Amino acid sequence: MREFKLWFGLAARLTLGGVLLVAGFLKYDEVDKSQMAVRAYEMLPVSLANFIGIVLPFAEIGMGLLLILGAVTRITAALSALLMVVFVIGISQAWARGLSIDCGCFGGGGQVEPGTANYITPLLRDTGLLALGIYLFRYPQSKFSLDKSSHQNLEKGI
Amino acid sequence: MSAKPQPGKDNFTRNLVIGVVVGVVLIMLVPTIISKQTKLAAKIPASVSAERGYGIVFNEELTGVPVLDIYEDFQCPSCARFEGTQGQYLDSIIEDKKATVVFHTLSFLGTESVLAANAAACSADEGKFLALHKMLYQTQPQENSGAWTNEALVAAGGSVGIKSKAYKDCVTNGTYADWVGNVQASAAKSDVNSTPTVFINGKELDRNSYYDAAAFTAAVEQG
Repeated sequence: MREFKLWFGLAARLTLGGVLLVAGFLKYDEVDKSQMAVRAYEMLPVSLANFIGIVLPFAEIGMGLLLILGAVTRITAALSALLMVVFVIGISQAWARGLSIDCGCFGGGGQVEPGTANYITPLLRDTGLLALGIYLFRYPQSKFSLDKSSHQNLEKGI
Repeated sequence: MSAKPQPGKDNFTRNLVIGVVVGVVLIMLVPTIISKQTKLAAKIPASVSAERGYGIVFNEELTGVPVLDIYEDFQCPSCARFEGTQGQYLDSIIEDKKATVVFHTLSFLGTESVLAANAAACSADEGKFLALHKMLYQTQPQENSGAWTNEALVAAGGSVGIKSKAYKDCVTNGTYADWVGNVQASAAKSDVNSTPTVFINGKELDRNSYYDAAAFTAAVEQG
């Protein structure tokens, strides 16, 4: 069982980290679009939304790399879970308010033609990733991790 | 328990990795933030007003007429459709001095949008902005397909009668590239999240009237 959890931890790290890395990579050199995507959620003051639009792709790349490598897994998993909560809130409020926007999760973003917005797919995806983030926060030990604590905790039987 | 991992070594590798990842991300992030700031030293084409979001302005001097702010990207297919529907009408209200019209040539769709916006600015210096604007939309290629090179944009200018060396140099040197960035930065501050977006007297026009000639004309005339 412990062995299985370690392998599951690795799978969770690679999935969550992989998605974050790809999402960031698709956006980091198109920050005009990324800024537009964040503004379109109409949640934040415009200047803050523009700032987040620049920083977010780079943060995703950083968090994705750290998760894949298994460095500071617990903290990175917590941050990723927090980020997913923010995404879920953002998408839900856009849906509830009847905004017609592209989620902008993997590039693109901004307003779309009324009636063509798809909120269910990103909500399901982000909820699944949130679950992985919470799991890794609770059980950060996994195979092929750089975190020293993995070994130590393993010895203690955590 | 005897095979205790060497904490010093493990920690070193892990901390090194963390340092490298965070460092590389910051090294990439900082220049991006700086590049998105408005460049006050940017060279500005003819009939551009920094107060009007660095847009290319027609009939700036008029008072008591509607002011149209049009945000568009030369690579955006909806913008080509908008130009196809409203282009002639816009030309006519500019010609007849019935409105002040400000074109904000955005570049969020990629490199070729930057090249096209730069070429449009060069054409403004020649007094041929509207002609090139129309031509670029009529011949709009697939997004970022590589069709809009500087050579192609020089040729597009030639096809609407811009033959000067100044235009060619301006396009080839990307003279107004910084200005193109300023237009985009200014649109970001104005919360423009889609193209085309039209403001009439500072008020965003309902999207439904963009491709409806009668509704658009009515909205402009109401002011």
